[in-house]
Amino acid sequence: MPVTDSGTPDEPDKRVSPGEPPAPGGRAAVPPALEVRGISKNFGSNRALDSVDLSIGQGEVLGLLGQNGSGKSTLVKILAGVYDPEPGGQLFVGGEEVALPLAPGQASEIGLSFVYQNLALAGGLSVLENLTLGQRIGGGFRAWQPINWITEHRSAAAVLDRYDVKLDLDRRTGELAPVDQARLAIVRAAEDLRRYRTRSGYKHSVLVLDEPTVFLPEEEVDRLFDLIRTVAAEGAAVLFISHDLIAVRAITDRLVVLRDGRVVGEELTADIHEEKLVDLIVGAPARPGASAPADAAPAEDQRAVELTVAAMESAGDAPAAGENVVAEHLTDERLHDLSFDIGAGEILGVAGLIGSGAEDLPYLLFGARPDAFGTLRLGAETIDVGGLSPARSVRERIALVPADRALLGLSQSLTLWENIVMLVEDEHYRGGVFRRGELVTLAQEAIDRFLIRPPRARNTMSTFSGGNQQKTLLAKWLLARPRLLLLHEPTQGVDVGARRDIYRFVKSAAALHHMAVLWVTTEFGELAEVCDRVIVVTQGRHTATLTGDELTEEDISAAALRQTREDR
Amino acid sequence: MSAPAPVDEARGEEHRADRSASSALWRTGLQRYAILIVFAALIIGFGVSLPSTFLSIGNLSNILGSQAVLFILVMAVLLPTVVGDFVDLSLGSSLGLSAMTLAVLNVQHGWPVLLACLAGIGAAVCVGLVNVLFVVFFDNDPFIVTLGTMTIVQGVIYIVSGSNSVGIVSTNLSNWIFSNEFLSIPLEFYYGLAIFLVVWYVLSFTPTGQKALVIGQSREVARLSGVRVNRQRAWAYILGAAVAAIAGIAYAGTNGTVDPTAGSALILPAYAAVFLGATAIKPGRINALGALIAVYFLATGTAGLELLGAQTYFQQIFYGAALVAAVTIPKVNRERFFRRRRAA
Repeated sequence: MPVTDSGTPDEPDKRVSPGEPPAPGGRAAVPPALEVRGISKNFGSNRALDSVDLSIGQGEVLGLLGQNGSGKSTLVKILAGVYDPEPGGQLFVGGEEVALPLAPGQASEIGLSFVYQNLALAGGLSVLENLTLGQRIGGGFRAWQPINWITEHRSAAAVLDRYDVKLDLDRRTGELAPVDQARLAIVRAAEDLRRYRTRSGYKHSVLVLDEPTVFLPEEEVDRLFDLIRTVAAEGAAVLFISHDLIAVRAITDRLVVLRDGRVVGEELTADIHEEKLVDLIVGAPARPGASAPADAAPAEDQRAVELTVAAMESAGDAPAAGENVVAEHLTDERLHDLSFDIGAGEILGVAGLIGSGAEDLPYLLFGARPDAFGTLRLGAETIDVGGLSPARSVRERIALVPADRALLGLSQSLTLWENIVMLVEDEHYRGGVFRRGELVTLAQEAIDRFLIRPPRARNTMSTFSGGNQQKTLLAKWLLARPRLLLLHEPTQGVDVGARRDIYRFVKSAAALHHMAVLWVTTEFGELAEVCDRVIVVTQGRHTATLTGDELTEEDISAAALRQTREDR
Repeated sequence: MSAPAPVDEARGEEHRADRSASSALWRTGLQRYAILIVFAALIIGFGVSLPSTFLSIGNLSNILGSQAVLFILVMAVLLPTVVGDFVDLSLGSSLGLSAMTLAVLNVQHGWPVLLACLAGIGAAVCVGLVNVLFVVFFDNDPFIVTLGTMTIVQGVIYIVSGSNSVGIVSTNLSNWIFSNEFLSIPLEFYYGLAIFLVVWYVLSFTPTGQKALVIGQSREVARLSGVRVNRQRAWAYILGAAVAAIAGIAYAGTNGTVDPTAGSALILPAYAAVFLGATAIKPGRINALGALIAVYFLATGTAGLELLGAQTYFQQIFYGAALVAAVTIPKVNRERFFRRRRAA
């Protein structure tokens, strides 16, 4: 239950008390601290925000909910001045209109204070310098006035004391643990807010928190809530963006749900039940366009897979024995003793929201996370995860298709065929000569099989579209006949046609070579379509398993959302 | 290997922090002042082996005075480097252009020396503006663009001078820069010191300096915080060129005759000093005090070696070795050895 502070000494009348519907004439008397009307944003043909209206009253805590891709981050970035909204939208701060688009950093001048998802801290600067960064902006004579570091140090120490945060002011920010960095970002935002309010005479002010609980453990979240309540009691408005339903229900007065860039619900937090909330976020019977093909697809897909497998076999691709994969006690910064198994030829999906630790899994199992613990058993072999490295993983025939394919997966400046054969080149090096012809032929076959367009082996990789690059990446790995294929967000930024192709390739490779596949993505509908089984990871722990009829986008989303905190 | 038992994070962090805090403090202190310690050792070492020649006013004057031009150029180089535009290679040529412009106007066209100096500064500032256009406005890589402007300016210098050395520049200038001394040290050292004090003050104690620092460390964070990133970068190039021009004036005053290659040999030692300086006082950060110490540390080393009879090429070796050692030593720690053993 949200805690209400009883009366603030300075502004008894400006506070909107939660739990009461705003009086019809009430809003007219006190303008909302922040209001946006008709904000839209297009990225190419993708409508990330569609005519969004939002308002936050002074002293109110508004929660903003929505899945990945719903437009939450886009809205924050527009307020931060990073993106320019489409013309036609309006922004009102404290009742006064502010011209859009905002310049980066301009938000702090109009009373908005941010804690960004990536915290926006300069790693090479000291804690003190980061904390006081907001005060350095501004030109004119002030920009040349001396900084008294000694007094700044002392007052910063007092500030940290006030928020009960222990940090070494002279330490390099990059060396702090993520928790401490998050604390620093929060204290900075709260202090900037305070300073703005003093300077502007206690007018409006808005604190924007973008996924603040991701780095914070239990006790810290409670302290964050205390801070939010204090700030709101002083009259500031708070925008709390999160997918952590329990946190949202604990701290917000009202909430707004975004789906596919549109506002689909606006409710008082106290009035809404969790189930209805999940429905709003996920959307009852999914998106109308996507449902129909989803029903027809399985049968059609299955046949396509069978055809592909037959084609592969006739082309000389021999079926392999395949091995079971068992992962035990996987632990790293965010994962706690996670264990699961994948059968040979099985596609296991991992559903986890950002911050759950699920996104670490593919890299951890590939040996790209040096500080991890755990065991991986491939068939009869047992491997210590801490001793893995990418080079060793390739030798062990573990394959990784990372989310950041352009940077981590492919060489943009090499040609298509060079990328495809990268892992199997050694097999074609005989007598001191690279059998280039053989390699190009091999690549050509792969290009045909994986439907890479345009089918020109000698074109530079960078000229291919996202979907074709992803197919290339897949081809490269599958050519090396892995025992375990790890995928992280494999269809991110990939067009619809290429997506279906990718589903088919992975399924047929799994079927023919009995390859174990781990598919980690936040696109839960994809998991529903492709996977045989799905495990849900929340807060680093394996919290649910879904099979058979439970494999629907709604059920998976609900499971991932529902258990975002250990039930008390 | 079993997973570590779940630990109360706050307490666990404190324990870990306590254990490593004292050793970290020791290591940080050592790193910050390492160069000073070696500097002191160097002075003691040379002082003991050559008491009469090394520890003499003449030697001190020689060290401080002879490096003054380089010192001023180092201050110029510091500016674009601090805002993250490593590297501005054209600053050496800007030095040469300003010196040559001054010389040609003063010697061949009879301009009064003061006006010629201003013209020299103006010429260098033009080079700075060209850099701003192509690096900041068109968003190109600074290394590539300044490599281009450097060679272009070098060509311009040859044209302006007719491929000849030009001299002798007005003795008035030479007096003000080189011949006159204060406390037995040529005045040019003090000009350099004055520029250093301004740069040091701005970078360490003003909001402008802080903004410059953030831009250099994390451009995106700077932008998000509302810093006018491109504006500051532009000013860094322009002011850097202006200070390089002053170094050029000092060069002309010191040598009397300006040859077309003036400045080109100084750009790399200047960068060596800036990067070496980044490992001292405020490790990992480009800073003025560190650069000052680096310049005179290197100068002392080479002066001492010369007095001991070493050939001049030792200077090169000393510069390079000092730079490589300075950036590598902080990286040599236990973790690196452990990681390699684990992966094997």
